[in-house]
Amino acid sequence: MKKVAQEILGKLPKVDYADIRIVEKESQNIATKDGVVEALESSTSLGYGIRVLNNGAWGFAASHDFSKQGVEKTAKRAVEIAAASAKYKYEDVSLASQKPIRTTYKTPIKEDPFAVPLEEKIELLLAADKAQRVDPQIAISQTSFSAHREKKTFAATNGSLIEQEIIWTGAGIEASSVSNNDFQNRSYPNSFGGQFATRGYEMVRELDLVGNAPRIGEETVQLLTAPLCPSGEYDIILDSNQLALQIHESCGHATELDRVLGYEASYAGTSFLTPEKLGKFKYGSKGVNLTADATIPGGLGTFGYDDEGVPAQKTYLVKNGLFVDYMTSRETATHLRKIVPGYKKASNSTMRATGWQYIPLIRMTNVNLESGDWKLDDLIQDTKRGILMSTNRSWSIDDRRLNFQFGTEIGWEIKNGKKGRMLKNPTYQGMTPKFWNSCDAICSQDEWIVWGTPNCGKGQPSQIMYTGHGASPARFRKIKTGVVKW
Amino acid sequence: MMGEKKLQLISQKVLGLSKASETEILLFVTDRGLTRFANSQIHQNVAWEDLGISVRVVIGKKIGVASTNSFSDTALRDVVKRAENLAVWQKEDPHFKGLPKVKKLPKVVHLIHEATPAKRAEAVATIIKLARQKKITASGALDSAVSEVAVANSHGLWAYHASSASDLSTILLGRDSTGFGAQLARRVDEINATDVGIKAIEKVERGKKPIMVKPGKWDVILEPQAVNEMMAFFAWLGPNARIYHEQASHFSGQLGQKVAGENITIVDDPLDEAGFPMPFDFEGHPKTRLAIIKNGTLTNLVYDSYHAGKHEAKNTGHALPAPNTGGPMPLHLKIEPGKLTMEEMIKKVKKGLLVTRFWYVRVLNPKTLAITGMTRDGTFLIRNGKIVGGVKNLRFNQSIPEALKNVAEISRDAVPLSSFELELGTNQMPALHIKNWNFTSGTEF
Repeated sequence: MKKVAQEILGKLPKVDYADIRIVEKESQNIATKDGVVEALESSTSLGYGIRVLNNGAWGFAASHDFSKQGVEKTAKRAVEIAAASAKYKYEDVSLASQKPIRTTYKTPIKEDPFAVPLEEKIELLLAADKAQRVDPQIAISQTSFSAHREKKTFAATNGSLIEQEIIWTGAGIEASSVSNNDFQNRSYPNSFGGQFATRGYEMVRELDLVGNAPRIGEETVQLLTAPLCPSGEYDIILDSNQLALQIHESCGHATELDRVLGYEASYAGTSFLTPEKLGKFKYGSKGVNLTADATIPGGLGTFGYDDEGVPAQKTYLVKNGLFVDYMTSRETATHLRKIVPGYKKASNSTMRATGWQYIPLIRMTNVNLESGDWKLDDLIQDTKRGILMSTNRSWSIDDRRLNFQFGTEIGWEIKNGKKGRMLKNPTYQGMTPKFWNSCDAICSQDEWIVWGTPNCGKGQPSQIMYTGHGASPARFRKIKTGVVKW
Repeated sequence: MMGEKKLQLISQKVLGLSKASETEILLFVTDRGLTRFANSQIHQNVAWEDLGISVRVVIGKKIGVASTNSFSDTALRDVVKRAENLAVWQKEDPHFKGLPKVKKLPKVVHLIHEATPAKRAEAVATIIKLARQKKITASGALDSAVSEVAVANSHGLWAYHASSASDLSTILLGRDSTGFGAQLARRVDEINATDVGIKAIEKVERGKKPIMVKPGKWDVILEPQAVNEMMAFFAWLGPNARIYHEQASHFSGQLGQKVAGENITIVDDPLDEAGFPMPFDFEGHPKTRLAIIKNGTLTNLVYDSYHAGKHEAKNTGHALPAPNTGGPMPLHLKIEPGKLTMEEMIKKVKKGLLVTRFWYVRVLNPKTLAITGMTRDGTFLIRNGKIVGGVKNLRFNQSIPEALKNVAEISRDAVPLSSFELELGTNQMPALHIKNWNFTSGTEF
């Protein structure tokens, strides 16, 4: 595809800058429900997108059509769109410099998820589906598996030519129980499809879906008769899978520089982390260190180069509680330099597009809370009046990323240092900086997991991106819990 | 545009390649452009054309689905082969009763209107200019699409529909307030950017110096956009036959019973030319007007062929593209209108809040159909029938069925609004006056 990419680039008239991405996607999805394989699907997609910067304005056109006429039409369209944008511009776009890179990258995996026989995958899921059904009160049992391969060829007028092959795999199980007006869920290892990683089928084997299924089934039934999460102010310990989403919503999105600069105001919103706060704002307590790191092995947001050809890297967003940087692109980094005196950084490699049809946007890579030194058992022992919450059930946050409310599938009461009775319908609510400043204990690397979040929505037209979040359980003091009763 | 004849030839070619006992072909062709603006200038301006073919093959009761975005002979052979290979390894689904048979399809107007980048930029520039005059920052998007969808199957079924849509929305940002405006139309030249811009500016101006109000139970006037955001969750989890029969729906076991106020009639009306008509579902089964709730009573669920077969019910034409593990859904919802304009409804409110739209709405519990979310881009205090100023945004936790029992007034006029961007369907929603809407906390802006 390198040759094709260069040929298409060659068809463009002279413009200030242009890049092309040819993307070939392949995926396989299997889903079971109540012992029946309900979805067995294989999909492929191939196309290219041409991004043009001319006279200080962007144009982008994309097509599935690789014929001579198709390419010429798409190239012409990209240039025309840039001209239409330029007609009404008030300020020129400028890009941070980027050295040309000519290289390749491939996700290191042990076992190709596409090569594992279909029969074996179906048998595993059906066994896990059946193993959840430990009680007649279980109304729904579900499992899912998906494998994705994305081959990308990037070529730009600055001389870059990069080929990448990103592979990611996901799997999980979910049991639901119903009684009168109650509906309870338990998922393993996480909700909304389980765990996802830039790994091969070895990840699915490690999950032991069948072995964990009976526990998930039992817990969903126990939840039906468990007491409600109490209302009040409690110290809460968030399990790493819930903390991953908390990081995603209140740290990740809040530090996307395109949001901060208003680029996403028309849809996803802006951010409370405005530029004057950079380097000055106490985002969290001293122990809170947040990074955006696209280099973590296996992380769902791990890659070699972003969709502007910038090498993957690790950036501190919050260091020792202080807000120190954003996730940036070539365009927004330049924009920030104009606003914040002394900011001299280039893009930190976060631009990704969901497919060939879309322009790259700033997307979370792996946004992580660095580990502390606690053991979970010790943390529970150290908590007098608290609630341990695990596995997300609902999430919502305002359009500047301040007021949030989360619900989890399950909770446990902590009384005088002991994990006690199970609690149902746990919810908590807070304001982002106050919440992160109340974090006083984070568990160690032994319990640190990079969770995959494959469903991050952003942009117009809407793009769904795969991102990762490393976290270990952490404690937050005096948090409002039980904010909704049902 | 590829045209019906060409798509029919492709589907015949694919059906000829399949050795399965039943085969279904779903085809789509789309040409779409979106001009987006922020900080009062166009910052993202894109266009793309794509096509797709999805093949569902049935071998006995074993089903496999494969898709691709090329109509080349090689790609068509490959997609059929992949679907067949999957079906071979599949397990029998005892509930599957077969693909839909040929039925007469209703006629709707195929209205096609393409928007050029220049036309989109011009509309967007109108809003930017209006906002700049008021020293307000403009953001938004104008999305336009021309699309074709076709379904064929080995029983001889053929269904084709072509349509266009343009969707302009803007969020204007003042110093301490924001305002939203939007319009959805079948032709881009029906979009009135000036009107959209003026309405959003009014909200910014009216919302200046917002005050914080106490959360709690409030009378609310929900504008159509807010109603649509609530009703998206009703559509997903309410009359969905799959969820109903799994006992996971709030409405499970309540067919024929009162589930909403006497004044509530909710229909799925896919053939209404005032909206965005669609004559068939994604299995090619004809669509028709269906009353889901009539005068407060749950009268119908929505079915696709699979769930109709499984539960021995009538297929109502609500299939989504296969494989669909979420169940059938209504995509053209309407709440039957009342008699007053929204302005007249506001006059009848002693103390309440006017809500322009919601944001980040999520389900708390499907069994109670309880949702949470925030208000956004124009929330106002109403006192003695008058809008007296802006309020800071609030979080709500609210059961939808409870809200539908507490509707005091429904506006006379309904507005077409996308159900899921421009991709699947279009609702027509009025404004609602709802009593005892449950706000639980506030935010800083």
